[in-house]
Amino acid sequence: MSALLEQLTRRQLLWQGNSQHTAYQAVSSGYAELDQQLAGGFPASGLIDIQTGQGIGELRLLLPYLQQQQSSGRLLVLISPPAEPCADMLCAAGIVLSQLVIVTPKTSKDALWAAEQCLQSGCCASVLLWQVPLKLAQARRLQLAAEQGAASVILIRRPMDGLSLPVNLSVKLQPHRQGVLLSVQKRKGGWPAAPFLVDMQNRWPGLCFTTEQHWQARRKAS
Amino acid sequence: MALYLYLQFPALQPDSLGCAAAQQLPVAVVNEQHCIVQLNAVAGQSGITLNMALGTAAALCPNLQLLPYQPQLQLNILQNVAQQLYQVTADIALDPPDGLYIRLCNMLQLYQGLAGYWQALSQELKLLPYRYYYASGATPFAAKCLARQQLNLLTGEPDALATALNHSPLRFTELDTDNQQQLQRLGINTLGQLLALAQAELARRFDSSLLSYLGRLRGSFYHALHYIKPEHSFSRYVELLYDIIDTEVLSKPLHALLQQLEQQLQRINAACHQLQLSLLFRAMPAHRLSIGSVQGEYRAANWLKLCQLQLDKLKLTEPVSGLQLEVTAFVPQQSQSDDLFQPVPGAVSPLQLVSLLQARLGYHCVSGLTLQNQHLPEQASQRPLPLLTGKTAVTALALRPAFLLAKPQRLTETVEINHGPERLCPDGWALEAQRDYFIGRNSKGQWLWLYRTAQQQWFVQGIFS
Repeated sequence: MSALLEQLTRRQLLWQGNSQHTAYQAVSSGYAELDQQLAGGFPASGLIDIQTGQGIGELRLLLPYLQQQQSSGRLLVLISPPAEPCADMLCAAGIVLSQLVIVTPKTSKDALWAAEQCLQSGCCASVLLWQVPLKLAQARRLQLAAEQGAASVILIRRPMDGLSLPVNLSVKLQPHRQGVLLSVQKRKGGWPAAPFLVDMQNRWPGLCFTTEQHWQARRKAS
Repeated sequence: MALYLYLQFPALQPDSLGCAAAQQLPVAVVNEQHCIVQLNAVAGQSGITLNMALGTAAALCPNLQLLPYQPQLQLNILQNVAQQLYQVTADIALDPPDGLYIRLCNMLQLYQGLAGYWQALSQELKLLPYRYYYASGATPFAAKCLARQQLNLLTGEPDALATALNHSPLRFTELDTDNQQQLQRLGINTLGQLLALAQAELARRFDSSLLSYLGRLRGSFYHALHYIKPEHSFSRYVELLYDIIDTEVLSKPLHALLQQLEQQLQRINAACHQLQLSLLFRAMPAHRLSIGSVQGEYRAANWLKLCQLQLDKLKLTEPVSGLQLEVTAFVPQQSQSDDLFQPVPGAVSPLQLVSLLQARLGYHCVSGLTLQNQHLPEQASQRPLPLLTGKTAVTALALRPAFLLAKPQRLTETVEINHGPERLCPDGWALEAQRDYFIGRNSKGQWLWLYRTAQQQWFVQGIFS
């Protein structure tokens, strides 16, 4: 029996559920509980889909990851950011501003074109893409371009229902007083996870309510 | 001994029509006096000769194609030829409208004799579509006189050159027609007879121009030639054979132009940052495009890609009749060194990527970000050209939002304040303009950067993301 199994495995006809941890190379997200849930961190390449409201901490969640991606000397590209990016915050988070390119295309078609060019070039480590409606074929194209250039593309968009896209990782963020509430929708080589809290109190104390404040607010409300 | 070479191009204008169709038809160039001045081989076969009147020529050959004589175009072609030949020989002087003087005595050592030199030069000439006649001579005028007789004589022997020169009829010299007639009446028909006469005798009968010509022909007077210098710019014009309205079709003639540019750049080991491409129309003023590459580029394929991105955006309302490509500044080529141990997939450098994005999206749509030493949030971030290294000494202020709104908006919802106040004042004396900044969270869970003015009005200026 075991000889048969071995033979099948060697001919790659047998698929084993526990050999999935090599689906992608993970880069630590900088948050211990998130790394644990995602089996190592965010994918180093490929399409990452983040469904989130604006201003609840989505960029803060990504900053340690982006900083590590950039450390190889490659570029970080922001495509159609929602407002003027602020140098102070990015610089304080360790992002090298000379390796940052901001692209503000006029149409979403141009935005996708720019994203594909950046990903294919091989000189970008990560591309952040805001609020671009993405079809299945386009997502596939971005995914292929990202694999070709060993880069990651992070799509930040509003939570929406629709067909599931071919992504390496899809997460949904919800606001929380101590950080963000993260639920894994889809993960290559893993299972969706129930919502859990990514605690930002250590990294961003100014942008979190402490537990005492939390209880005070509760008491006031009651 | 000094040795010069003269190249005469009898039909620069008809030969410059590059296409095969034009080679099949009889083509002639007519000047303003309706006299044929240049013709191609097919026209020559059908019996047309130079200096023939237009009516006679048209009667001889009904399908004769006529071009007007354009002195400026002729000069441009001649200059291009000279630039091309500069690659193999050093001293070239223009002799408009159709000739080139080349001083070859100081090139012989390099090419180990006349045979080797001529091999290199004729190979370069073979690449060009122009017919030519040549001759060598001890002086520029001697070479010119022999070349105009279409002798195709190339020798360094003084005796052979002198014999050939002595047999030259006077009509191939630079003498004006009055002098020629006068000499003919005296029974002097060849240059040899003229050179045999004593100079004092000639000086009594003829004006100084004859003496100065003969002096320069003999080499006893100094003949100043203006030798060309290699250009550090590029300017080519191509007249399209038919009008083109489709930008995709336009890329074909454009590619030919860019390849010429590549050749020139490659020879001098240079690159360029910017091209000026003009699309010329028949009835409209020309449309000028400037195409840039942040990383200096010389390869035609890469330039064509950038040009096509700009052309794709263009809506042509009228067909294009000509293309003009200009480059004003060259830069030395810099080779970039790639990491040997970490080969990055894709052969595009960051600068090339930026040029590509700029070409399609426009220059203002691609920018970088620098941090300024300013405490006011509006002035702390600047968006210069991408990939510039800013000042490193500036320390970033903690707790600033990720995004600043272009214009502060009035606060219209209830927020829960977490941090503040932080008082910022634009100038020490403008106390009315001071703002107290707070960090707050609204009911949707968004973290906002708020400020309160001295008039107790609340505004949202940024969003923590």
